[in-house]
Amino acid sequence: MTKPILEMQHISKRFGTTQALADVSLTLYPGEIHALLGENGAGKSTLIKIMTGIHRPDEGEILLDGRSTLITNPLDAQANGIAAIHQEPMIFPDLNVAENIFVGHRNRGGVVRWRQMYRDAAEILARLDIKLDVRSSARGLTLAAQQAVEIAKAISLDTRVLIMDEPTASLSAHEVEQLFKLTRRLKEKGVSILFISHRMEEVFSISDRVTVLRDGRFVSTHPAAEVTAESAIRDMVGRHMDDFFAKSATVRGDLLLSVRNFSKENVFHDINFDVHAGEVVGFAGLVGSRRTDVALALFGIETADSGTITLDSQTVAIRSPQQAVKLGIAYVTEDRRQLGLTMPMSITTNISLPMLRRYTNRYGLVQRKEEKKTAESFRERLNIRAASLEQTAGTLSGGNQQKVVLSKWLNTQPRLLILDEPTRGIDVGAKAEVHHIIDELAQQGMGIIMISSDLPEVLAMSDRIVVMREGRQMAILDRREATQERVMTAAMGQTA
Amino acid sequence: MNTVRRAIRPEQIRELILVLIIFGAILFFGSQIENYYQPRTFTRIASSLAILAVVAVGQTMVVLMRNIDLSVGSIVGFTAYFVGRAVVANNEMSPAVVVLLAIVMGAGLGLVNGLVIAYGRVPAIITTLGTLAIYRSILVQFSDAQTIITSALPEWLVNLPQVDAFVVGEVEVKLIVLVAIVIVLIFQLVVAYLPWGRRLYAIGSNPDAAAMTGLPVRRMTISAYTLCGALSGLAGFLFLARFGTITVVAAQGLELQVVAAVVVGGVNTFGGSGTMLGALLGAVLIATLEQSLLRWRVVSEFWRDALLGLLILLAVATDSVVLARLRLLWARGEIEQL
Repeated sequence: MTKPILEMQHISKRFGTTQALADVSLTLYPGEIHALLGENGAGKSTLIKIMTGIHRPDEGEILLDGRSTLITNPLDAQANGIAAIHQEPMIFPDLNVAENIFVGHRNRGGVVRWRQMYRDAAEILARLDIKLDVRSSARGLTLAAQQAVEIAKAISLDTRVLIMDEPTASLSAHEVEQLFKLTRRLKEKGVSILFISHRMEEVFSISDRVTVLRDGRFVSTHPAAEVTAESAIRDMVGRHMDDFFAKSATVRGDLLLSVRNFSKENVFHDINFDVHAGEVVGFAGLVGSRRTDVALALFGIETADSGTITLDSQTVAIRSPQQAVKLGIAYVTEDRRQLGLTMPMSITTNISLPMLRRYTNRYGLVQRKEEKKTAESFRERLNIRAASLEQTAGTLSGGNQQKVVLSKWLNTQPRLLILDEPTRGIDVGAKAEVHHIIDELAQQGMGIIMISSDLPEVLAMSDRIVVMREGRQMAILDRREATQERVMTAAMGQTA
Repeated sequence: MNTVRRAIRPEQIRELILVLIIFGAILFFGSQIENYYQPRTFTRIASSLAILAVVAVGQTMVVLMRNIDLSVGSIVGFTAYFVGRAVVANNEMSPAVVVLLAIVMGAGLGLVNGLVIAYGRVPAIITTLGTLAIYRSILVQFSDAQTIITSALPEWLVNLPQVDAFVVGEVEVKLIVLVAIVIVLIFQLVVAYLPWGRRLYAIGSNPDAAAMTGLPVRRMTISAYTLCGALSGLAGFLFLARFGTITVVAAQGLELQVVAAVVVGGVNTFGGSGTMLGALLGAVLIATLEQSLLRWRVVSEFWRDALLGLLILLAVATDSVVLARLRLLWARGEIEQL
């Protein structure tokens, strides 16, 4: 057997309290296409970032051609022949194809030798059998062509290890075929390719070996011929469920929200589901499943093209967040640092912000005492740990920040609460607290939509689970029938 | 340290330092310029301050939202000139009507700024740079190169800058200064206690989060610019009263002084922090420097703008270096107490 190009050995990486990778090993041989599978948060991205020098491992070793190598920054990775292309190509739209190919090159002298650059670019494209004019502007290129340019760029840098991170997610079937042709050509030239995709059929059609990660740990590596969709999914899921708090059984209340034929062109298509009072409806899916877009459309930040929203048996068109708040809808964003909180403002003022009018006296002035009372009551109710309520939101821990965002939206007294990744990036203790809060709210009759990439969380907390994949609704599973395997099978587009 | 932390905030330290700098400047010019400590000096500073402070209040609201209004100088000149023309044409106009006319005129120009920024999606700095030129050009076009002269104005208007609101011992407090201070106080109340003001800070701190929270960002942008325009209109009236003689270049370059006052006063150019009191102190410093440098022969008048520019750069640089450190220190204190 040939010698491996790249060996990742016993790699561990920790971010704060989260163990992103624990003792993961991966070997890449020249001329192989190696698929990397795993749920969201399994550690794929972290592993890639370590390979490309964006992060450094806490433990473990990277061997290149059998020699231990330190990759401390992206330039190092480039110098060692490691390159990555992503779902969204990193292209400079105002430069032409040739300029894009050579944009990362150094030591080509102080002056651009245009003629030589065009000649070299044309030669690389010819070698890869890519039919593109080197002088055409990158702006007009299709996504597939842009990716081809990225691959040409990687090749021009003598790349030996090419990481393709969900390159097919936004491509049409025909474009995927073109990309795969190109990928196979690279393979013949001895390039080693690490291929990441959530589409099972693609993984099996192109890869030679398949490695599965789960919870930051290595699970298995098998030749692709020995792997089936079922066996891969079994490896990907199967996380421990025991330490999870489960939602208590609640009486299903009146129909609160009914969404029918909800569509937005090129984003999501024909979404249908109901939420009753006292119910938690989970939204499961992988990256790019467009669950957040559905939520944003329900909250009036994005607008759907067609379909109906019925709230309390009234058909409504939601055009702005202001209107959504008035209708009793609240949306807790997945990006609490950027979008959920105003960091330089205090806990109190963050909580009262959407509902300031409630705190004005007859002269229209905000009564700080009343605001404080509200903040105080939420501090007790949600157990927000802070030195004082005047403390700025930016100085709180992730879990406490999340509780402040929750307080802010609960203070609007919503009937329908949309939670987007409510426990992402917060520690285990705070996570359990958030689960208890969700349970309590449901018991009080609130309707809750919970988007979560944490499968055990979705299973434990939801009465029903809507599974989405690439903007389409794949399944609605009842609490009793839902298992990790069934949800993941639907999320990956397999028929069970 | 913790008691110090609890008693004052970093922003207050900044304001304290500003007060010291103002006194330092007065002592310095007193030692350099003959007969500096005279009522006339302070009357001049005061009437310059009144105009500057009123516009600075408007500018502060805009800057708090992470925007800027460069057209204030043109709005002041525009209203000073056209209100002047109206008064010249009809000397019997009641003072209240004159003031109202100035405010409405300014508000209209501010509204245009706000609408373009909110709906045209043109960045604030470009929009107001454009209207800076446009408003000024309209003024030049419709003035027929005529100048408003003091003798054509009614007596009450010409004498306005000399009117004392009250006298405490030797100190005469001019009516127009009192007006400026009252406006500062009113708008400090507005930004600190009205929901409108709170939203201003929230949008300036994090526009994306504000939109996600359902705050009416567009409406806020339009209202802030309209208010800024209205205050600039009022300042235009004060300008007319102070100088009497108004040409088409009236208040040209005032935006530099106003932005300097606001920035030196500690209003963060990235929005979300700053107070009206700070802006007032900034205006005091700028007015003092401007009037004193006029009489200090060491510095030629051409260098005065350069000095203002230097002050802006210094203020922003100290803000991002020193104040950021202080804030971090304070924030750490909060964390340690947990």
